[in-house]
Amino acid sequence: METAIETRTQYQEELTQLEASALGGLDLVTAALGRTMEAVEHQDVELAQLVIADDDRIDGRYLEVHQSLITLLAVQSPVATDLRLISALLHVLKNVERMGDQCVNICKLIPLTGNEPPADAEMVKLILTMGKQTRALISQSQRAFEERDIEMARDLVRRDDAVDHLNRECFGLALEIGDDPDKREWAMTMLLTARAIERIGDNAVDIGEQVAFVVTGLFREFEDASHPEETIRP
Amino acid sequence: MDTRKQVRSPALSEQNQPEQQPTEPRAKTSVETAMPMRPVRRAERAGSRPAVGDIELKDLHAYYGSNHAVRGIDLDFDSGDVTAIIGPSGCGKSTMVRCINRMHEEIDGARAEGRVLLDGLDLYDPRVDIVAVRRSVGMVFQKPNPFPTMSVLDNVTAGLRLTGAPRGELEDRGREALTGAGLWEEVKGRLKGPGAGLSGGQQQRLCIARALAVEPEVLLMDEPCSALDPVATLKIEELIGELSERVTIVIVTHNMQQAARVADTTAFMLDGELVEVGPTEKLFTNPDDERTEQYVTGKFG
Amino acid sequence: MSAQPHALLVDRGNLRRRNRFNRLVEVSSTLAALLAVAVLVIVVGSVFLKGVGALSWHFLTTPTALFGESGGGISNAIVGTAIIVGIASVVAIPVGILVAIYTTEFAPDRVSHAIRFVLDLLNGVPTIITGIFIYGLLVVGHSQSGFAASVALSIVMLPIVARTAQEVLSLVPAILKEASSALGIAHWRTVVRITIPTAAGGLVTGALLGVARVAGETAPLLFASSIFRQGVLTDPGEALASIPIFIFQASESPKPEAHTEAWAAALVLIAIVLALNVVARAFYARSRKRMGA
Repeated sequence: METAIETRTQYQEELTQLEASALGGLDLVTAALGRTMEAVEHQDVELAQLVIADDDRIDGRYLEVHQSLITLLAVQSPVATDLRLISALLHVLKNVERMGDQCVNICKLIPLTGNEPPADAEMVKLILTMGKQTRALISQSQRAFEERDIEMARDLVRRDDAVDHLNRECFGLALEIGDDPDKREWAMTMLLTARAIERIGDNAVDIGEQVAFVVTGLFREFEDASHPEETIRP
Repeated sequence: MDTRKQVRSPALSEQNQPEQQPTEPRAKTSVETAMPMRPVRRAERAGSRPAVGDIELKDLHAYYGSNHAVRGIDLDFDSGDVTAIIGPSGCGKSTMVRCINRMHEEIDGARAEGRVLLDGLDLYDPRVDIVAVRRSVGMVFQKPNPFPTMSVLDNVTAGLRLTGAPRGELEDRGREALTGAGLWEEVKGRLKGPGAGLSGGQQQRLCIARALAVEPEVLLMDEPCSALDPVATLKIEELIGELSERVTIVIVTHNMQQAARVADTTAFMLDGELVEVGPTEKLFTNPDDERTEQYVTGKFG
Repeated sequence: MSAQPHALLVDRGNLRRRNRFNRLVEVSSTLAALLAVAVLVIVVGSVFLKGVGALSWHFLTTPTALFGESGGGISNAIVGTAIIVGIASVVAIPVGILVAIYTTEFAPDRVSHAIRFVLDLLNGVPTIITGIFIYGLLVVGHSQSGFAASVALSIVMLPIVARTAQEVLSLVPAILKEASSALGIAHWRTVVRITIPTAAGGLVTGALLGVARVAGETAPLLFASSIFRQGVLTDPGEALASIPIFIFQASESPKPEAHTEAWAAALVLIAIVLALNVVARAFYARSRKRMGA
């Protein structure tokens, strides 16, 4: 049915804008994670402080977009795809906020490791690799959402599994760190860091699941057929 | 009106009475959705009911002269359900609904083809008495239209009085109907007052009572709330929920939120055709057809 | 705070001209309305002034004097008019209303239009022709009668009653008829119990307007009932007196008193016609209100 006048243009524009804002939060998170990894690599406490302070921006973004979405629900009575999109964006916002919090957690750990050289260079390398892969994971989840690409979203599971694998390797290395209490403390801190990164990855997968929901209207947790054993969700 | 009526078919001429096939209550098809089915209403109507007031449209076509307004509709209205028909202006929804109680053919030059089955009986069978059809399938119109020369009570019982019901029963049946329409308390003190002296919302409920007094199995409502204020509208929506226990309701509405609120099943029509029909929740959260999606989200044009 | 608002308030000369033109139209249309009202006032006024002198109880209750004499009244004319118009009404009103019902409720569109057209034509037939027609049909070969006059008048009345009734019946909102239909009420019952009662006021209007119109019709009476016996007559089989004929005959008399009597009779006639019109309008207004128009 064609009419000369486009309908609900303001509503549509607003929804598009809010989606961009929400996904823009992922840009903030990617940047935060990058800086966090740099701080870990160089034991840079000042940089860590910066990341922690900057998390306010992520939280601010969350509150702002969340409020606007609620208002849109109240005012525009969205249905069908619009409704699913808004629901998904609310979830995505939560994921973004959590990812930001994980970065803060990591940064809080950095002063604890002191200024001594790392006890196990291997572990540090693993963690930095995890960080890099997770950044790519976040970018992919963002693109998958923007393009509503379900296949790309499903692929996130595979990449997240790789990150999980690295996490387990870290665990293994930590077990063999030896008896030195200082080293053991360092190893624990590193493990916590690795786990935080792994959780960021899981949040990215959650975003992928939201992509599927928007497109199909069905909500399912992604299952990876090549890993029949259940992934232990923390 | 408390006891559920047994199967009652429109009167046929004496020559031929086709046998009534009892139809089983249709099982609700389970559809995979993310949202739960509307919980409250389904829980209330657990258990099987006799299938009275089951309507099936089979390849229904309707014309105004050469204008093909309704094109080949196959649609079922389950007994005891509320079904909403939505669609843009001119899509044929009112026309289709008027074919169900055979009001469409009253218009000069209008005709309908196809079959409309009420509990298995084809209402378009030439042996069927049109007047009797209208006693099984009632109708409420967009603008409240109480008869101006009659009192409230006379209005409610008009359908009974003018079709030969025994005089002694009139007051009781009128009272029942008014109670059923949620109007008794408000008008019991002025039954002899003019029907047109009520407020808009009350007048519409009076018209609903009037339609109910004849005890139809099906009630057709053609945009019943369009001319009413929001409070009156909500009262009638509440009423629809209660009435659906006793009559099958088909409601044509322009207001999608209203369809979403009151209907179990929603059907979307476009240019005389049925585009999609399904549980209301599904149509408004994840419709199958792109055109339905465009319409319900308001992105038409 | 831009300069825009001020620009709108500036008088560009155009405004003055437009105002003057507005005023001109206003004034001239008011004058025209006043003129129309004035005409009625003048007519009624002069009839009143010229006739009130002869108006009296005696005048209203005494039959007309023998030809050539004075001192009579119009009691026989009043009675005659009442009988002639009465019979005409008894025929024309039911028939007119039934015709209207047929065209609005039962006839297919094309037939309705045809009938409406015919009624309009009938309405336009000059009454003198109706008079001559009735003369040829009922008077020639027999004699004049009140009855013949009634027939002529009923022909004049019919289209008025029918058209007004038609108009009112078609004003009955279609949704009322639809609602009745949807309740399973048979068509004829809908017409009798719902359509007609709803339009009742308007039907009375049509009837009254018809009566008001023929009360003063003179031409048919000239042909059918202008030569009558003396005294108050009540048998429509013979010619009866009537107010219009009285006016006509009295005004032809050489005596000035007779002229005054003519004016007085005219005053009575106008009073009757005006009263009927006012009552008819009142019924019409009530009927429209009831239909929510």
